[in-house]
Amino acid sequence: MTSAETTEAAEPTGAAGADGADGAAPGPGPRALSWQRRRASAARFWRAFRTHRAGVVGLAALVLFALVALTAPLTVGSDVASVTAAPGQPLQSPSGHFPLGTDQFGRDLLGLVIWGSRVSLLVGLLAAVLSVAIGAVIGITAGHFRGWYATVLMRVTDWFLVMPTLVLAIALATVLSRSLGTVVLAIGVTTWPTTARLVRAQTLAVESRPYIERAKALGGGHWHIMSRHVLPNVMPLVLAQTTLIISSAILAEATLAFLGLGDPTVVSWGGLLQDAREAGAVSSGDWWYLVPPGIAIAVVALAFTLCGRAVESVLNPRLGVSR
Amino acid sequence: MNTQDQHGRGRTGPRPRRARLLAAAGAAALLLASGLAAPAASAAQQAGNTQQGQEQAQGQGQGHGGKVLTVAVAQSVDSLSPFLAVRLLSTSVSRLMYEYLTNYDPKDAHAIPGLATKWESSPDKLTWTYTIRSDSKWSDGQQVTAEDAAWTFNKMMTDPGAATANGSFVGNFAKVTAPSPAQLVIRLKKPQATMTALDVPIVPKHVWEKVQDFSKFNNDKSFPIVGNGPFVLTDYKPDSYVKLKANKDFWRGAPKFDELVFRYYKDQDAAVAALRKGEVSFVAGSPSLTPAQAASLKGDKDIHVNEGPGRRFYALATNPGAQAKDGTKFGDGDPSLLDERVRHALFMAVDRGTIVDKVFQGHAVQGQGYIPPRFSSYYWQPSAGQDLAYDPAKAGQLLDQAGYRKNADGKRVGKDGKPLNYRVLCHATDPNDKAVGKYLQEWWGKIGVGVSLDCLDNVTDPWLAGKYDLAFDGWSVNPDPDFVLSIHTCAARPQTPKDTGATDNFICDKTYDDLYARQLAEYDPAKRADLVKQMESRLYDLGYMNVMAYPNAVEAYRTDQIKSITTMPSAAGNIYGQDGYWSWWSAVPADSDGSSGGGTSTGVVIGIVAGVVVLGGLAVLFAVRRRSTAEDRE
Amino acid sequence: MTAEATPSALDTAVAGPGGSGPAAAGRARSGRPGAGYARYVAGKLGGAAVSLLAVLVTSFFLFRLIPGDPVKFMTGGRPVSAEQIAAYRREFGLDLPMWRQFTQYCGKALTGDLGTSYQFHVPVTDKITEALPNTLLLTGTAFVLYTALGVFLGTRSAWRHGRLGDRFHTGLALTLYSIPSFWLGLLLIIVLSVGAGPVPGLFPTGGMESGGKEGFAYVVDVVHHLVLPVVTLVAVEYGQTLLVTRSALLDEMGGDYLTTARAKGLRDDLVRRRHAVPNAMLPTVTLIFVNLGRTVAGVILVETVFSWPGLGGLFYQALSVPDLPLVQGLFFVFAAAVIIMNTLADLLYPLLDPRVGR
Repeated sequence: MTSAETTEAAEPTGAAGADGADGAAPGPGPRALSWQRRRASAARFWRAFRTHRAGVVGLAALVLFALVALTAPLTVGSDVASVTAAPGQPLQSPSGHFPLGTDQFGRDLLGLVIWGSRVSLLVGLLAAVLSVAIGAVIGITAGHFRGWYATVLMRVTDWFLVMPTLVLAIALATVLSRSLGTVVLAIGVTTWPTTARLVRAQTLAVESRPYIERAKALGGGHWHIMSRHVLPNVMPLVLAQTTLIISSAILAEATLAFLGLGDPTVVSWGGLLQDAREAGAVSSGDWWYLVPPGIAIAVVALAFTLCGRAVESVLNPRLGVSR
Repeated sequence: MNTQDQHGRGRTGPRPRRARLLAAAGAAALLLASGLAAPAASAAQQAGNTQQGQEQAQGQGQGHGGKVLTVAVAQSVDSLSPFLAVRLLSTSVSRLMYEYLTNYDPKDAHAIPGLATKWESSPDKLTWTYTIRSDSKWSDGQQVTAEDAAWTFNKMMTDPGAATANGSFVGNFAKVTAPSPAQLVIRLKKPQATMTALDVPIVPKHVWEKVQDFSKFNNDKSFPIVGNGPFVLTDYKPDSYVKLKANKDFWRGAPKFDELVFRYYKDQDAAVAALRKGEVSFVAGSPSLTPAQAASLKGDKDIHVNEGPGRRFYALATNPGAQAKDGTKFGDGDPSLLDERVRHALFMAVDRGTIVDKVFQGHAVQGQGYIPPRFSSYYWQPSAGQDLAYDPAKAGQLLDQAGYRKNADGKRVGKDGKPLNYRVLCHATDPNDKAVGKYLQEWWGKIGVGVSLDCLDNVTDPWLAGKYDLAFDGWSVNPDPDFVLSIHTCAARPQTPKDTGATDNFICDKTYDDLYARQLAEYDPAKRADLVKQMESRLYDLGYMNVMAYPNAVEAYRTDQIKSITTMPSAAGNIYGQDGYWSWWSAVPADSDGSSGGGTSTGVVIGIVAGVVVLGGLAVLFAVRRRSTAEDRE
Repeated sequence: MTAEATPSALDTAVAGPGGSGPAAAGRARSGRPGAGYARYVAGKLGGAAVSLLAVLVTSFFLFRLIPGDPVKFMTGGRPVSAEQIAAYRREFGLDLPMWRQFTQYCGKALTGDLGTSYQFHVPVTDKITEALPNTLLLTGTAFVLYTALGVFLGTRSAWRHGRLGDRFHTGLALTLYSIPSFWLGLLLIIVLSVGAGPVPGLFPTGGMESGGKEGFAYVVDVVHHLVLPVVTLVAVEYGQTLLVTRSALLDEMGGDYLTTARAKGLRDDLVRRRHAVPNAMLPTVTLIFVNLGRTVAGVILVETVFSWPGLGGLFYQALSVPDLPLVQGLFFVFAAAVIIMNTLADLLYPLLDPRVGR
């Protein structure tokens, strides 16, 4: 299947954990040994990653955004979102006092963009984790259990794959109540099939290896094989996939918020854009209300994409996509 | 990686430049199309809209050569059949196509002749006789008679499909007849004071009697559509435009513009931008321009921002414990809201001044009574003793009295120990709801009351099921206030929880109902107005409907396309969505002095320059390409 | 290849800008010519039919979950008697039990009747056929342009791999790919339509036509309205095609036959055009088809921003009522577009793959 090559390529880094899996091989300090191997492969991974300049730049941007988001309670504080305590007049253009101007309530936009990063990043992360988790579980089980179970699962996956993602997400967000959970769910539930297919292919490849036979012969159950042998092998793939999906999840969050399907009571980048549009900022030429949240979305999405591509290319050097 | 480096080697000079050039050309290919299209289209536009001179229009191949008034609207048409249409745009178009029995005076909205020249009621108040004018003709040449009107009403009374939109108007009709072509007689079951406010389009019988299924006929298949209003509908394209032609034979006089086009913009920003560019002559906004848009348009030379008192009130409705007429209780409104002190306390913690200043940015009037000040004869203000002015401290005292004291966390708790937390139903599509909701969260939070905003695209379901504590509410008020008053009567509630009543938020109050019955049977305007004011006073005291503001109507039009237009009320009023066709009928085109168009010529120049640059680029590219392929021919 | 490892165009399509899928797609495929192909076609067509049926079923049940009684919504603002509500319910078949509604819906759908729109009082199919050409015009134009641009730039980038031009185009493509399309659309409106500073408003702000134009003037008018939405779509979409083409070609360039060709003294240009590109086109072709299907649904945002009278806007309008028959019909159309295009890609793939039975 598609990722047959990925499997092979991932061997130096990803397969490290599998051979050292401790459950089936009793001996002196198997756990310590496996940790050692994992550390070594992580170091190898980092050395390879470092050579991808775009990936490093992306990572740096992400670290920066993460810092900004995490320190937001200290730097701007939740008061920045208060409407009754808004410091400025509505829609003031950028000035020394408000570097990015003010919004329709007179709130400081710089503060709001910083504060909004928390929700946007959180939703992006959660949605991606949910999506990849669903995808990984379905992919691994469909790869492990053959027969009708796998057939049904893959049918469902194929079916989800042809669903127009945005349409489905809009429908889901409309069906459920307006909240962050809804947005996370809508994105997660509609984007997992990609991961499921990739993971399943990887699982099939891993399970065809001799040591799985050995593990089975030694009495390893389904759970043991999936969690101790397959999972560590698909983890690198899952990580790369997560990074890429976060990028689209952040875009999806902004899209849903822009269509008015987000939670109106929290501040997020997509929500700021929606507010700006509803306030008529586009036709009034109030660019400062519109430009910063959009740039923030684009930069974070780009950073995750760059990182994801670098990770992928480390795991699968044949592609050389990002170089 | 090595193999790839191999390929990178041995490249010669001109190649990379070509690659970039071609890429640029590809991206700019669209610009070419635009560059060519822009001048032609905007010129044609300008000519069509403002009639900068017949010669220009002819130059652009504009055959009709009429003066066009283009209105940007944010709604699409639901149906062109007056029996089905309920959206504001569609009913406005109906009003332009078909004459109603009566109309409203643009000055003060009192009833004036429409299709009927005069009307009178019998002493028992149950028979109304209308005299139908003789100088109105259908656009296909046939005479309009009382028979058309009688047929229209009878159809609505007998065919449920025809009663879809306006069935409520004939609910109290016993019999409608046309004893002569000039006389229409309506017999009522009970007296009804609204007989000069029957907003029902009268349709031509000879056309409509051929219609089979009124619930499916949309009146949009053959144009022009036969009518007798100031305009005749000539063309319609869903989600694009509705086009009407002036009815030169209209009995009140022909409109000044030759053509009226309602063009659909999904996005209000796009509509405003179109106004700025002169693509449209008028923007109504949905429901009004935002403060930012109004502020930015005010700076434009050829644009007039028209601000008039609105016909809407913007209120906070409280769930009084939903109950059906058969006595069944349903829904899950918070029981603490049944205490009048709690309702008053909540409203006293709402700073209406700030809402007007910050949310509406001055484009609204602070709310008091139920009916907006625009309808001066029914406008009521609370007396000094009644007034629930903004006073958070007093609100806190009221809550204390009602037994909801603050706990250690600063939250108000009831006797059951549960903190007060209200669900506020809001329209996800209304920015004002969301904005005011944010303020409510903070204001009520300060007096210890929690708020969770429940914003939905479609609030109807929880609303009708009584599953809310408070809700943002608003109605457009007609010159005759009967309807907005009727929705708070006990009779408006649903028969059983399964039915849908006309009720707004399940209010049922005996005092109010008695007053309502009296005003409906009162044919003397002054006495009726007095009764209506008493009802408003009662409603205010009950505290179930708390009017926060009356939003202004903020609209804008191009003064280089429209010279003058009648607002309603004519002193200072609105233009779009009037009670009547005054604005479009009265609009006078601007003089054709040809002063505007500066923007267009700049556009033409830039468009041409862009086109030439792109063409030049393509030519160079093509030459290079020819040369290189020539080398290759083996 | 085992039976459950169904080769599919989707493997390629799911790759996104990450690019792992495309380079590998097709490699593992074991195409069977002749009778094998016939069976393959039959399998694919059968699968597509099943998918279409599944979509039909889903669209029915998914949208029943939307909170909101359509009858209440349509009548909620107005005083309506209980009889009228009952009449509405009868008219729209909402008084029947769910399973009856479902069988009725399926029966009608099979004969091409998707029901009557609640809010427009016309058959759903009418509403869709009205808006479909508009959407196709927009997506079709954008599709042709972004595919051409993506393939062209992707080829160039791969050939000039690692150079400044490659880095620039890859970077630009990735950046544009990360930009929310609606945001780009709004900015374009501000700058090129409303006009900012010295830039006059060159393009209309929205809609598809000014109305009242005929013949050539009408065509020019529509093209003029088409520019900004198409630019927006092209900008956000071409990156994916570029990256996939590029990585497919890079993958191909390791091949010995290219070195041989070059050793023969053929110009780079020719080696590229005659040898590398045709082989590398495989994953790209797949992507192109899948994109075509997806773009139809993907225009919702662009149609909203530019007031384009297409399916996307209609969908959004229908969803807020909820106008169930219309929502269901549109959902079906969107999903069907993807399914049909995927199937086409699947069918074409073995025919194009030079490694298969030549």
